[in-house]
Amino acid sequence: MIGSFFKRAALLTILGVASAGPLVLFAQGADAAKQPYQTGRIDSGTPNSTTVVKDSKGAVVSYGNSSITYNAPPTSLIGLGRALYMQNCASCHGTEANGVPATGSSGSYPALVGLGPATVDFWITSGRMPAADPRAVQAMRHVQKLTDSQALAISSWVNSLAPSYPYIPTPNLATANVSNGAALFALNCAACHTIEGDGDALASNTYAPSLRNIPAVQVVEAIRTGPANMPRFTGNLSDSQVNDIVKYVTTEIQHPNNPGGLGLGGLGPVAEGFIGLALGVGGLALFGFWVGERDE
Amino acid sequence: MSETLNTKRAKKLAKGPFGGVGHALNEIDDRLGAAKGGRTFLDKIFPDHWSFMLGEIALYSFVILLVTGIFLALYYIPSTAIVTYHGTYMPLYGQKMTEAYASSVNLSFAVRGGLLMRQMHHWACDIFVGALVVHMARVFFTGAFRKPRELNWTIGTTLMTLAIVNGFLGYSLPDDLVSGTGIRIAYSILLSLPVVGSYLAFWIFGGNFPGTMVIPRFFVLHEFIVPLLILGLVGAHLALLVRQKHTQFPGPGKTEENVVGTPMFPVFMAKTTGFLLIVGGVTAALGAFAQINPIWQFGQYHASNISYAVQPDWYMGFLDGALRIWPSWTFHSFGHTIAFETLVPALILPGLVFNLAYAWPALERKFTGDNAIHHLLDRPSDRAVRTSVGVATLSFLMMLFIASSTDVIANFFHISLNTVLWAMRILVVLVPLIAYPLSYKICKEMQSFKGAGKRKTTNVVTRTAEGEYVATASPRYVDDVPSHLAPIPVPKFITELDSVKNVDEGNGTRVVDR
Amino acid sequence: MSNNHETNTPVSLRGLSADDPHLQPAARKPARVEKVISISFVFAIIFGVLFIAAFVQNWQPYILGGSLAGSLLLLGIGLVAWGKYLMPRGPFVEDRHEFRSSDEDRAAFAAAIIQRGGGVVKRRKVITGLFAGGMGVFSLGALFPLLRSLGPLPKGTLFHTDWRKDAYAVDITGRRVLVSDLAIGSIITVYPEGKQDSENGQAVDQTVLIRISNQDFTTMKGRESWGPQGLLAYSKLCTHLGCPVGLYEQQMQLLVCPCHQSMFNVNNGAVPQFGPAPRPLPQLPIYIDADGYIRAQSDYHEPVGPGFWERS
Repeated sequence: MIGSFFKRAALLTILGVASAGPLVLFAQGADAAKQPYQTGRIDSGTPNSTTVVKDSKGAVVSYGNSSITYNAPPTSLIGLGRALYMQNCASCHGTEANGVPATGSSGSYPALVGLGPATVDFWITSGRMPAADPRAVQAMRHVQKLTDSQALAISSWVNSLAPSYPYIPTPNLATANVSNGAALFALNCAACHTIEGDGDALASNTYAPSLRNIPAVQVVEAIRTGPANMPRFTGNLSDSQVNDIVKYVTTEIQHPNNPGGLGLGGLGPVAEGFIGLALGVGGLALFGFWVGERDE
Repeated sequence: MSETLNTKRAKKLAKGPFGGVGHALNEIDDRLGAAKGGRTFLDKIFPDHWSFMLGEIALYSFVILLVTGIFLALYYIPSTAIVTYHGTYMPLYGQKMTEAYASSVNLSFAVRGGLLMRQMHHWACDIFVGALVVHMARVFFTGAFRKPRELNWTIGTTLMTLAIVNGFLGYSLPDDLVSGTGIRIAYSILLSLPVVGSYLAFWIFGGNFPGTMVIPRFFVLHEFIVPLLILGLVGAHLALLVRQKHTQFPGPGKTEENVVGTPMFPVFMAKTTGFLLIVGGVTAALGAFAQINPIWQFGQYHASNISYAVQPDWYMGFLDGALRIWPSWTFHSFGHTIAFETLVPALILPGLVFNLAYAWPALERKFTGDNAIHHLLDRPSDRAVRTSVGVATLSFLMMLFIASSTDVIANFFHISLNTVLWAMRILVVLVPLIAYPLSYKICKEMQSFKGAGKRKTTNVVTRTAEGEYVATASPRYVDDVPSHLAPIPVPKFITELDSVKNVDEGNGTRVVDR
Repeated sequence: MSNNHETNTPVSLRGLSADDPHLQPAARKPARVEKVISISFVFAIIFGVLFIAAFVQNWQPYILGGSLAGSLLLLGIGLVAWGKYLMPRGPFVEDRHEFRSSDEDRAAFAAAIIQRGGGVVKRRKVITGLFAGGMGVFSLGALFPLLRSLGPLPKGTLFHTDWRKDAYAVDITGRRVLVSDLAIGSIITVYPEGKQDSENGQAVDQTVLIRISNQDFTTMKGRESWGPQGLLAYSKLCTHLGCPVGLYEQQMQLLVCPCHQSMFNVNNGAVPQFGPAPRPLPQLPIYIDADGYIRAQSDYHEPVGPGFWERS
């Protein structure tokens, strides 16, 4: 009647494992992240792009196109970056930035080499790193602890250990098409971040963050690097598509057009139902309380 | 000169003591014989306890729904033909969309007052169903559904289901991302019906989901068939109310044989018309200042797009909650599937709840043996079992409703989504089980405490010449003195009280001194 | 006290003298109440004018709605106050009349139905039966074409998708997806080539393609060739109620349905590990052709989407 016994047993086992699972899976995710950043597609955030600038030694300094330009962090900051890294990051990610394997219950800390400067820059400028609670399942967005230039310095040093992509992006929002961005957002982003960009709770203490106050650069970095549980969008979104999405997020999501009055926090029918019942029915019942008699 | 005066005067006299209006009324009476019935109607007495206004909120928000709905129907195009949007809202500019969605966006932005009307329509719907719920609760807890009003209770329960159905249909019409997801779920629920499911789903949708027929069909249902049914049933509801007269709370001079209140004309008419305007005003205020269902932000529905945190409108919430927390039990055997994971929460459960509501008057008659005519209302505390059943049922539905926003709760309080879901699975069973005995106990306590619900009187403490303190209770308020209140027979099942005195074995009632 | 008691006793509206206290206004100071009501109506008129101006000038919806609300609310409040404080205070009473008819009437009514009607039917049993049968056949006959003409029969459509052997996987824009497009941790919604713009393609064929490693990946026994280079293709239709399962948690390796939070583990064939979904998401067997394009080996091996009666 209720499915085979073995299926139930398997489900229960999985459920049991799921409570300890996130830590193991986090390690898995870290492994996955170590894999090279690959896509054969032009215009998808890799040096296959139309414009590539190299320095005298042949290293790629910047690449990109009319939509997004990706710049390597300045090599002049490497020294400063190393010092900042040792102060703020080395205790977890190791002095070589190659991660610390799981010991005891604290899980593992992923390697940073090979992830590209955009990854390091995203985690630091969004205030997630240095982590408030390194053992948390998911580091949450926070007030920035290191400045943008300090983040740039650290990513510069990490990149100097093993140069990799993506570099730090600069979207060119003037060329973006907000309407195309809206359609792409609905297909690719709304499933987690909600169609109004408010974010929501995901499985077992993980969350899709709100997009209401995220700077454009971080939106590109998140799309291109796939931080934590967010999938990574590489060859499946071109630079111009990413640029369109960023335009939509930084304009309509962050400054929504609410001609109908208060936006009600974007909570949708939950908030609407609450207002309708409390103010609508409740308010009218109060009027009714005045209209009718109540002397019994 | 004097002759013309005389003629005028003569004409005036000829019209009788009530002038031109009286003359016109006489002419009407000559043809229709309306004077006698008309006078009775104008003299009709309406008890105006405030809780009787809850049904009026429902009635008048339905009026608002009709008026705003007609406005919307003038601009909405129920078609799934694909057009390219070239309107004023930039994030949609150049996108391909259905005419239904394009016309919904256009009537919000390009039609004068369109957005206000759309928002008022939606708010009025939220208020309509909400007022139906509290009105139904009032009728239930005060026993107003008892003989002879069972038929009106049945009509009311039907109105509730129709209102919910029509709310869902209307919510689906703009064809935006969120409502499209709702239609998708409705299709899957139809599909889950054993034996006939796939046929029914294909017939209603004119083929496999989504097809092109569903929006035009929902439009016909939403703006023609279901409103017509509602209108007819509302008419019957009111006709029965006029025929059977209002119930009333027991009180000074109020008996089973009379109705005390204000006359239809002019007092009730002024008050109720004023209340209609107030309902319109509150709806307009909500429509003006609180944005509801911003479909332009959601975008056109595509079957492979989805947004997180999509909930139906609040009155469908209990179904969505049930679907979320019901376990994944299904049946595969003999080459067939019975989708219990959908069937039970989406069809069997609401079926049970609404059938309980339909059956309740008969159940109560059967179990209490109380087959008498009742025009005086109960205090909920005097009917402990009924009140507790009502509270338990409402708390059950409330828990299901809360379960429909597990993700929002998890996100807001930063608890694990899985924990919230399990908590709701437990609470949905636990809370009604606690609510029943708790409200039963409270009712019993209130019964045994004489004067419960009455205004408190003060004790005057005086000091005598000997230095002794004496407390004297001040007299009760005039309205609270039950001097001119005749004893009222109540069925015996509620009375294990000391106050029970006279037992009339003949008709199965005992007399309680109130 | 006694005076109060007397005026609070309900009286019948009929035959009251004009100076009866029940017909006097309820307000103690009617003149003052009238003043308040007048002010309320004056403001209602002002708001009404503002409403017209807002409409003519096409001002913001909140001005339009606000003035409408103000006008309606003030009119309503004034009118209620008028009825409540300045009209006859009552209370009035009217008698109820028993619904029950007299015994003779009841007997006559029943007799009319049973004797007159029953007699007619009983004496003509054959034609009564035939008439009932005729109506029944007509109703059934009317019902069937009415329902049947609403839409096609499902036939086998619920069992198949448009995925065919060697069909290219394309994205929403119709571009064929290359294996190198997807880094590890990527997700993309794909359709069989040519169907990405069709209703059925969007609703039934939608498939999520995710990449979880660089090596061939086997989700379960018998699917050894289904996950080339770590690419897994699952039906995007939730097996619970058919919502698109577009929520991919890369590190948890979970596909989550945004509607009712069913969670599917992509590593072991999308077996649901939490929530109401009863079955795993069907997996689409795919292969990578010589040019690096992702193509289907065949259609899904089981029906996609929610359960239905005919599904085995």
